[in-house]
Amino acid sequence: MFSSFSSNCRVNVTTDPRPAVRMTRKRVSRPIRELHVTQQRVQSGKVGRKKKWQPARCGVGSNQNDKFLDRPPLARTQSMALLYEMVWRFLHALLYVQRTLVAWFRVHIWRWKRAVVGLLLPLALGFHNPKKTGPIGKRTSRRIRFGAEGRTLEKLPLHVGLLITEEEIHFTDIANLVVWCMAVGISYVSVYDNQGVFRRNNSRLMEEILKQQQELLGMDSSKYSVEFMKNGTDKQEHQVLSCQSMVKVLSPDDGRLSIVQAAQQLCRDVEQREKTSKDINVTVLDSLLRESKNIPDPDLVLKFGPVESTLGFLPWHIRLTEIISMPSHVDVSYDDLFGALQRYAVCEQRLGK
Amino acid sequence: MSEEEDVILETGESTVMSWIRERELSLLERLTANILKAGPMPKHVAFIMDGNRRFAEKTHVERQEGHSQGFEKLAETLRWCLNLGIHEVTVYAFSIENFKRSKEEVDGLMELARQKFNRLLTEQENLEKHGVCIRVLGDLTLLPTDLQQLIAKSVVATKAHNKCFLNVCFAYTSRHEIANAVKEMAWGVEQGLIKSSDVSEVLLSECLYSSNSPNPDLLIRTSGEVRLSDFLLWQTSYSCLVFQSVLWPEYSFWNLCEAVLQYQLSYRSLQKARDLHREDQALQQMEADRSCVAELLQHRGNGKPMDAQSRQKELLNYTASREERVRCFLNALQHKRDTFFSDLSSQAVVA
Repeated sequence: MFSSFSSNCRVNVTTDPRPAVRMTRKRVSRPIRELHVTQQRVQSGKVGRKKKWQPARCGVGSNQNDKFLDRPPLARTQSMALLYEMVWRFLHALLYVQRTLVAWFRVHIWRWKRAVVGLLLPLALGFHNPKKTGPIGKRTSRRIRFGAEGRTLEKLPLHVGLLITEEEIHFTDIANLVVWCMAVGISYVSVYDNQGVFRRNNSRLMEEILKQQQELLGMDSSKYSVEFMKNGTDKQEHQVLSCQSMVKVLSPDDGRLSIVQAAQQLCRDVEQREKTSKDINVTVLDSLLRESKNIPDPDLVLKFGPVESTLGFLPWHIRLTEIISMPSHVDVSYDDLFGALQRYAVCEQRLGK
Repeated sequence: MSEEEDVILETGESTVMSWIRERELSLLERLTANILKAGPMPKHVAFIMDGNRRFAEKTHVERQEGHSQGFEKLAETLRWCLNLGIHEVTVYAFSIENFKRSKEEVDGLMELARQKFNRLLTEQENLEKHGVCIRVLGDLTLLPTDLQQLIAKSVVATKAHNKCFLNVCFAYTSRHEIANAVKEMAWGVEQGLIKSSDVSEVLLSECLYSSNSPNPDLLIRTSGEVRLSDFLLWQTSYSCLVFQSVLWPEYSFWNLCEAVLQYQLSYRSLQKARDLHREDQALQQMEADRSCVAELLQHRGNGKPMDAQSRQKELLNYTASREERVRCFLNALQHKRDTFFSDLSSQAVVA
């Protein structure tokens, strides 16, 4: 019922045969209100106070069936219901328009800003910084800036999750985000969507990340690894920034299904008398769930898209995770990411205390 | 106690301590409620009532007073939910992590809980009128015994009501809840009621403390924090999460409407995601059943390959027997839990 209803609400205001259904719904909830109404009248003593559905007010047919008296005139209720529905559709149409406009402005103003900066930068370079010449110089300075900026934050998350709720995924933008995270100094980055698109296109994502890494960071000394491969030691020098990070691709199977699999394992142990049910507690379950992943819990989840939900992202692991929403991953900029990291840096975790 | 009831009759307003406020909505509020109700409404809302202590600091009152005001706001919010047609509410009252707070604060909170549950026991008629069923979720064995008994009495007293439901999470964390569910399933295996291959997502959901409720449609956290803090992690995977910066004791009807609006905006995407997940779940269950049947046939096997029809029949038989096992196990689990509460409740009477 609702899927057809909401698909209509963005087009035109159409009449649909819902009122009958809605009336039933209202009638179900009415008993509580009626009881309350009666109670209120008794308690408050304000007899003259008007309520919408008042039983036994009209003198007509007081000896007749109570149900008939309860029912207000059909036409009046129907028209009220239609009116509310129209207002509701109008409200949602307004919100839809507002969201679209905001998204449009965000993208177009950013593009316009970038074009202007692109025009002005050569001029600025000419005036202020004789040292920074050419694209290579620019890239190096930007890379140093990433690392330096990362160090200015009070706290940096150890593990960031990128949760994409949008249906259409732009791999280049995701790759950008991953590379920026690594450049800023975040050790673990997870990428997730609830339809398993990243899982299925693992290699494509890897290619994009490599490509963007070249483009954005330039030098190959930025070492990173995808999935379970972990590279050598951390080398942080002033000129050359080398970061060691791990990128992991997640899907809904890593969430509830992993917990179920861990539960099955424990139950098998109990079946084979290797454990008893009393041995099972949070620590045991936690160690089992950590065994297959071997990475710390996400400190921060950046959620991209209009859907306000985690959509099945690692339920066990996100117990203390900050969830920061961003409007979209399409054409996302480094400043957007850094803004989110700044927000994370100032949050205070009291841990129950 | 009778004086308090006289006060209710005279002024038409409840006393400060009541669990349900009797105030009716204003005209504008009712209008807004009716407009919102034209769209999809959440049936189950969860609240993380954060910000009591910050409110106390802001208004220069004692922390205890902040928590008290928080409870008042809860009573008011329940009223609004009923008016909006939301019949199930879950609240995060006290986390197991909160035991880390100072002894003074923890004792104060326990005392507040005692007062409220005592008040609840005196409000039986009111609760019956509204048909409110109170459930308490969490590891109650961590609480002082007298409070456990009070809680048990309240739960048993309101058990039969079925118009609206209030789930209070007390001494609760989601990880404990999930670990406890796994423990219960292991107990079932120990008792020979189920096999380890029967363990599934659906079965785990049925073993959680919240098994009698559907998953929350909407989760609201106040005071501006943007994390879940170990609350309903399993159940809110596909719920709408709304983080609002208002402090809990300052929560208003308009904040609630804003949250519901947010829910309505995300409704379609969430439905889609939930349906996708349900399909995946059903598929996984079927695969699991198939592999179990294949294993069974192998064990039983005498080398003859089975034709598709008899394999299908075996599969159906296996599924039916699995469902029967699970049903018996869940009945036993429910019985265990009911006995726990009724024993505690009768202890209270004796004491």
